[in-house]
Amino acid sequence: MDFTIKFIFDIAAFTSVMVLIVLGLGVIASMMGIFNFAHGELVLLGAYTVYLSDEYGLGPWPGVIAAPFVVGLIGLVLERTIIRRFYKVPIIAMLGTYAVGLIIREIVRGLLGGHYKSIPEPIEGAFSVGGLEFSWWRSLIIVTTLLVIAGSYLLLSRTSIGLRVRGALENPMLARACGISTGTLYALTFAFGAALAGLAGALIVPLYQLSADIGIRFLVQAFLSVMLGGVGTFEGPVLGAAAVGIMASGLPWLVIPVLADPLVFVIALAIVRIRPQGFITVGRL
Amino acid sequence: MNVATRTAGTRAQMPHRSRPIRVLPLIEVFVLALLVAIPFVLSGRPELITLSTNIVILSLLAMSFDLCWGFSGIMSYGQALFFGVAGYVVALVGRDLEFSQLWATLPLAMLVGGLLSAAMASFLLLGKKTPTSIFVAFGTLTGAYAAERLVAGWQYVGAGNGLSAIKLMAFGGYEFVEGVEFYTVALSCLVLVYLASRLLVRSQMGLVLAGMRQNEERLAFFGYRVQVFKALVFSFAGAVAGLSGALYSYHQGFTGPSNMGPGLSTTAVIYCLFGGSGTLIGPVIGTIAIELLSYVLADTDAIRQFWPVILGVVLLVVVMFQPTGLLGLIVSARERIGSFGIRPGSSSKETR
Repeated sequence: MDFTIKFIFDIAAFTSVMVLIVLGLGVIASMMGIFNFAHGELVLLGAYTVYLSDEYGLGPWPGVIAAPFVVGLIGLVLERTIIRRFYKVPIIAMLGTYAVGLIIREIVRGLLGGHYKSIPEPIEGAFSVGGLEFSWWRSLIIVTTLLVIAGSYLLLSRTSIGLRVRGALENPMLARACGISTGTLYALTFAFGAALAGLAGALIVPLYQLSADIGIRFLVQAFLSVMLGGVGTFEGPVLGAAAVGIMASGLPWLVIPVLADPLVFVIALAIVRIRPQGFITVGRL
Repeated sequence: MNVATRTAGTRAQMPHRSRPIRVLPLIEVFVLALLVAIPFVLSGRPELITLSTNIVILSLLAMSFDLCWGFSGIMSYGQALFFGVAGYVVALVGRDLEFSQLWATLPLAMLVGGLLSAAMASFLLLGKKTPTSIFVAFGTLTGAYAAERLVAGWQYVGAGNGLSAIKLMAFGGYEFVEGVEFYTVALSCLVLVYLASRLLVRSQMGLVLAGMRQNEERLAFFGYRVQVFKALVFSFAGAVAGLSGALYSYHQGFTGPSNMGPGLSTTAVIYCLFGGSGTLIGPVIGTIAIELLSYVLADTDAIRQFWPVILGVVLLVVVMFQPTGLLGLIVSARERIGSFGIRPGSSSKETR
């Protein structure tokens, strides 16, 4: 029983990070129809912000707070200069964003000098409930993710900007005809997605060591999550991330770990092949 | 067939015009002459022969990507998968069966690459539901990524360290080490594959492929099974990538998980797009240009460290400003798409 609760807690922490990454990716994919291959590098930039603030003696906290804003701003600049050229050609967009990601990743690798840096957890230690130890930081990750999900949902469903976003999502042409500037909305959406990636990066860096490849390990899983959940919905990517997260952390217990890792991808891919529209539409049809 | 005669018909009605000079065959002859001349010119510089052999082998990989993207519209991030698996297969055949005769292992590598890509194509492309091109791109990416992770953890194939000291490629009693002889074998493979690919994409089947690039739906309404054509080209490209991977393993004497992953696939994409996709000779030129640049710049430490950044900038500039690559600067769109089957001159008589 104790073991089960601990296990669920660990899965929840890992899945939370996935959800943050996938939410940003999913929002961009739904709105603009492009898959952002540089998303892993935006996660990396978030992690790097924390490292910088720690390195300059400020401690990790200013970095954690600043990361979403810094990365959101970088996302905004990228969108205005490069990404917006690719909205009409989603396949080429994969290459373009891959190139952007490659440039960011290799520059950071050069700055880090190829070393692994570890950053201490900003809140160390654990608290115990009923004799079970829970790490503070992992709990914070779960809570933050829940808050972000709730916040994004409210933003989309209750505010006027959310209404415009939904309008542009449903029918961009009609939205433009109604005087909604889809260009501005796309820029904001991209910045928002980037900010989520930055936040995710800031939250995971104490758990994993900082290296230039920190974002890449999540990228393929995140893509599959978005496709699994279905592009164009808010709930889809979140559910997809949960499914992939649970598979990724649960399968190693069922089959040998070497096989489990690729198996997650194959299973997810097979599901997408059978249900290209994603499984969230099941309830809508 | 109908399409071909109709094209020829319209051509016959056109007023006579002086034919523009065809640049592409000139470039092809020039590149071939250059590659043939290398062993004679550079025989005193073994390190340059090794570099040239690498370039020729990687050109094959870049060409296999061009067959996918330039001719059938599949954005394949998985070419390295076929490259890597074939490389591992010849390495294992050398290790466990102590066999490395090139007349058997190179066809075996092509078979492995071809079957694997045919299996992947039948999963990704064929079936009742037509997949989106984005899904296909992700499918190939995921395949390569999953294979890299699997191999990196699999002890039998050397896990993360890969397989080293691969048995040398042999023909009868002769063993090929790095050098002019290996270069000759690689170049012969390149020329043969190039001719076969050229035949394929300039045949009536190539006409279907060109039509698919223009408007896939319309071709489907004509009754062509578009996905089957894509799968065929993808399988052929997989076989080419397999051949390239086998040669690469033999040449390096080593193969590792990174030879299988999306990283190498993307390098092939960069070679191809930089040279100019959809031309077959473009990927060869792109590989030559980028590898030479890398060789020249590698002497400076500061540049070597940021070489991947330069590659990224090159890719970004190409996709943003020059999607037709280097060749797009000198070869007209009309020539890139090309003419098919029957020559315009002779066909005008037939239709009359």
